[in-house]
Amino acid sequence: MSEKKRTPKNIFVSGAISPEKIAQSIANHSSKTDIGGHSIFLGQVRADQKEGGSVVAIDYTAYEEMALEKAFEIREAIFAKYPLTCMHIYHSLGEVKVGEICLFVFTSSKHRRAAMDACDELVERIKAELPVWGKEILDSDGHVWKVNT
Amino acid sequence: MYNKINIKAFGMIAEKLGNTALEWDACEDTDGLRKELEARFPDLKEMKYSIAINKTLIVGNVRLPEQAEVALLPPFSGG
Repeated sequence: MSEKKRTPKNIFVSGAISPEKIAQSIANHSSKTDIGGHSIFLGQVRADQKEGGSVVAIDYTAYEEMALEKAFEIREAIFAKYPLTCMHIYHSLGEVKVGEICLFVFTSSKHRRAAMDACDELVERIKAELPVWGKEILDSDGHVWKVNT
Repeated sequence: MYNKINIKAFGMIAEKLGNTALEWDACEDTDGLRKELEARFPDLKEMKYSIAINKTLIVGNVRLPEQAEVALLPPFSGG
């Protein structure tokens, strides 16, 4: 399976990523018995206080074609760098309310270190390199553009 | 040479331009394009944005190939 040529996958999910999808994704790995460790990062929309009000949701947009090409490039680089068994990336598009999940990164390996380091690096690269934008919707009906730190 | 190029705009840039797509007179290079865009949309001068040609971020000044897909990208804020 790891010898199979990998092709770009759609990473985008419309709206929030449900806890059920995450649970199902974990369950899907039970047959891969060479895995010894999973690492999961979940990004959650935070109710930040802004000058114009507090954040109630983030509306995500993306340059989808470019983002998918970039995600594929990152994916290949991480697979080449770490001995991973599996890697999954899901990012929301459209509106995600505070408290809901907007990013799900999931790596698996034989031993924990590779999964953990790869997951970390993936999250950093996704946030820095994917052409995705978050518009933070405020309770005042105004909005501000999210800035990644 | 084609006399029009299609520009995609995203996030805060699309908001300032009032549109996610623009048809624009062809330019020699990206510096020329920036100059023309900023003349028509002065708000752009105050904003940080990158340019992608055919889905690849460019560095410095780059000649615009014919029928290029040009995109104006404000700082990314995914995740």
